[in-house]
Amino acid sequence: MVRKTYSTIGRTTRRKDGVSKVTGREIFASDVVLPQMLHARVLRSPYPHARVVSIATAEAEAMGAVCLTPSDCPAWLYNERQVSIPEKTYRDRTVLPETARHVGEGIAAVAAKTEALAEQALGQLAVTYEPLPSVFDPWEAMAPEAPRLYKDIFLGDVVLPIERNIACFREMREGEVEQGFRESDVVVEQEFRTGRVYHHQMETKGVVCRPEPDGGISVWPTAQSIHNVRQLLGRIFNIPLSKINVHRIPIGGSFGSSIQMNTCIAICAALALKAGRPVRLVLTREEDLYDHCKYPSLIRLKFGVKKDGAIVAGEMTTVVDIGAHNIQAYPLLGCMAGWFVSLYRMPHMHFQGTAVYTNKAPACAMQGYGNPQVSFAVESLIDVIAERLNMDPIDVRLKNYVGLGETFWGQGPTVRSVIRSCGVEEMLQKGKDLIGWESRNRPEARSGRFRRGIGVGRSFHTSGTGAPMSGEVIDYSTALVKFNEDGSVDCLTPLMCHGGGTLEALTKIVSEETGVPLSKVEISPADTRSTGYDVCTHATRGVYCGGASARRAAQQARGILLQFASRILEVNPEALKIRPDEDLGQGVIYLEGAKGKSITVGEVAKTAQIKSWGTAIAVVSHRQVNCPPCFVTNFIEVEVDTETGRIRPVRAVAAVDAGTVINPDLAAGQLEGGLCRGIGLALLEDTDYDPRSGALTCGGNITDCKIFTALEMPLTEDVATFFAETEEPSGPFGAKGVGEAANNCTAGAVANAVANALGLRFTDAPMLPEKVLARWTDYLREKRGA
Amino acid sequence: MKKTEVCLTVNGVTHHLGLSPNALLLNVLRDELGLTGAKYGCGTGQCGLCTVLVNGRAVLSCLTLAVAVDGADIVTVEGLSRPDGSLDPIQEAFLDHGAIQCGYCTPAMVITAKDLLNRNAHPTEPEIREQIEGTLCRCTGYLSIVRAIKSCGDRAGAPAPRPSPMKKSR
Repeated sequence: MVRKTYSTIGRTTRRKDGVSKVTGREIFASDVVLPQMLHARVLRSPYPHARVVSIATAEAEAMGAVCLTPSDCPAWLYNERQVSIPEKTYRDRTVLPETARHVGEGIAAVAAKTEALAEQALGQLAVTYEPLPSVFDPWEAMAPEAPRLYKDIFLGDVVLPIERNIACFREMREGEVEQGFRESDVVVEQEFRTGRVYHHQMETKGVVCRPEPDGGISVWPTAQSIHNVRQLLGRIFNIPLSKINVHRIPIGGSFGSSIQMNTCIAICAALALKAGRPVRLVLTREEDLYDHCKYPSLIRLKFGVKKDGAIVAGEMTTVVDIGAHNIQAYPLLGCMAGWFVSLYRMPHMHFQGTAVYTNKAPACAMQGYGNPQVSFAVESLIDVIAERLNMDPIDVRLKNYVGLGETFWGQGPTVRSVIRSCGVEEMLQKGKDLIGWESRNRPEARSGRFRRGIGVGRSFHTSGTGAPMSGEVIDYSTALVKFNEDGSVDCLTPLMCHGGGTLEALTKIVSEETGVPLSKVEISPADTRSTGYDVCTHATRGVYCGGASARRAAQQARGILLQFASRILEVNPEALKIRPDEDLGQGVIYLEGAKGKSITVGEVAKTAQIKSWGTAIAVVSHRQVNCPPCFVTNFIEVEVDTETGRIRPVRAVAAVDAGTVINPDLAAGQLEGGLCRGIGLALLEDTDYDPRSGALTCGGNITDCKIFTALEMPLTEDVATFFAETEEPSGPFGAKGVGEAANNCTAGAVANAVANALGLRFTDAPMLPEKVLARWTDYLREKRGA
Repeated sequence: MKKTEVCLTVNGVTHHLGLSPNALLLNVLRDELGLTGAKYGCGTGQCGLCTVLVNGRAVLSCLTLAVAVDGADIVTVEGLSRPDGSLDPIQEAFLDHGAIQCGYCTPAMVITAKDLLNRNAHPTEPEIREQIEGTLCRCTGYLSIVRAIKSCGDRAGAPAPRPSPMKKSR
């Protein structure tokens, strides 16, 4: 296809926030200092399940500390995540609980002049607990005699009884799955597990809250959605939204960890309101480890296929251990079904998902929202099918993938849309060449201590959660664009940049649409009082939906500007065009073929101001009408040390079909980062609990809850990234997302590479050396015995 | 706790500070001097985000007592750029190689790289990886950071091109 040429879109440029980041001048939540500011610390439960009988605060207060206990807090139950519609929102927690349901749950807080003083005051709080029986395994939790975490909670405004600790259950069917299996030539079935991975964003969550004289509050939080923080604080503390101002500040990595309003925000707001002074609360790394984690998975997967490799039926059963709070298990199960049915066509399908409460830190969305877990299982089993049918794994994928023109529902059954751009085949073919797929041997051909293998994995993510019909998830963005009197442009949006370049992409979209050079387009500081609603920068929606809202606002503002220009040039505004002139640092408005009929954007905006015609400005709220998949493909080569069980990634190819790529270097960076996190999911990451104490076995230490360091990645020359040449008709300038997709297929590719190296398949991630070594030793013993 | 007088030269400015003997260098830089470039990431020397240069060498400021570096010359990320405001070549390299995502580890990565480049003007990729092993980044997968640091050794100015298509398995 012939790609459109753009002046700004697709150009590699230095990111606009780069200088402040590389000079240390970027201000994160923990860097915010306000006059009279107090520092807060939170007292956390040492018990996995305990009733808080009493908290004595007198001694801490005598030290000058402001103390907060459950009795100081509103009793209203909330869910920190505000993305689902109210009637699908499960509410089970308060600002401070009267019953702690996991080790590390905050039960009281103090604020004092310094953090050290607050820490000392915390030590003076005298708490009486009544320990309760606890449960850590989801299967045990579902037993009738198991300790119950909740008697009932709220679903929307309705009381929802909780039986056998089951937070929610979803079942979906299409076709007749049993008939499908009967019609199949081969049926494969396996169980897969992935770990309880910690987000490990480098910035621990933090917040500064300042009570305002009018009864309102100003907030500087670690957050992915300033508007959801505002809405929740308004509801919890009964403050009119017009008096709550939540400021967007940079976030030190998120990976989903701040989709919800972090619970420390509600605690800090309550303290600030009580103290009548600004309060800062920054979590320690240990506290952050107890705050959230990725949803672990336990998936039973079954495929029925014909001899030619065509999938006839698929069945997935999953049990998800959500920990102590139900943040978003209901949509998670819908999405897991969606990821499952949207990867490969299956005329008959059946999905069953159960989310179960246990006394562990609550799980929440983490990059991919169930997709890396599902893709790990599906991509592994696709390779098993290839093995059984003696087919090339790539051919099985090409035969079955859901592609152009087909309907898919990645975000669950209510978010259905049609695929209008698809680079699946291109990525498989090109990736195959880059990794050297044709030279890939069978495992029997290998010998010696170090064994290498190559694996492929593919997946996708949706660009946002919106579809033609509004479903159970809220999804729209608001943006404002205005021309300044010197010809520069401001774009105001509550979107976040998590580091991947979302706001950078918006400047390019606005530059492209307005014709004003990129050097003169800036993103304005944003807060909730001056911006329209945006649901959240999550679900790989920033560029696709947020960018589309900015483009539409730019279109409208441009129209107003051209009206002004037409008065000056005496030309029909519809005949006027704008092109960027980098040397002038201006957009130039001109009439094609008519010399003299041109004027800079700055002159028009200035004239409009002097003559009091007004400002060329527009605000747009935009709801997406499609939910296009951004497809990804990884080819990975691993080396297994059969004497230690250590698996090392040695080469990788990562590709994405993101439609038109707006920031090439930043998109490639997202692929590389996703690769690293995906390999971590496959080989390394988990959070274990000691069932006796209910505490994390890592003890809050990140060296005992490791992520990859620079040493463990393949060498730079051994990693290649590329983009499929596609264009999404519904996206801004043809763009889709990258974000979450980047890590969705990696664990599956790693598992397939390991199977290719050893002839032995691991279905339970992480594939830690001790596990690999034990299985390999057994495998050799069995082989010798046979 | 009784205060001790401590003299620190930070980014070329000498400060005489009355500090508690248990004051950590990270907290002194951030809270007393308002230099928030060095970050808290774990407080236990496990993530490297608090790294600063003490007498030219990379040091974890969250594990360093301020009194222990009395009289030292300290450089934080804020002190890397030249007096005229122009950036250090390593900062330029991070900008040119897309080596910055969320930016939370960036100050520490830049300082850690500077420490290496001060001693070794042309580090190899294994040397770079070893140097930054103790500084964690969750966004980038480290590759762009390694490329940025490598480019500083490879050149005196021009950005290196993105990597060529990969070599065959070795």
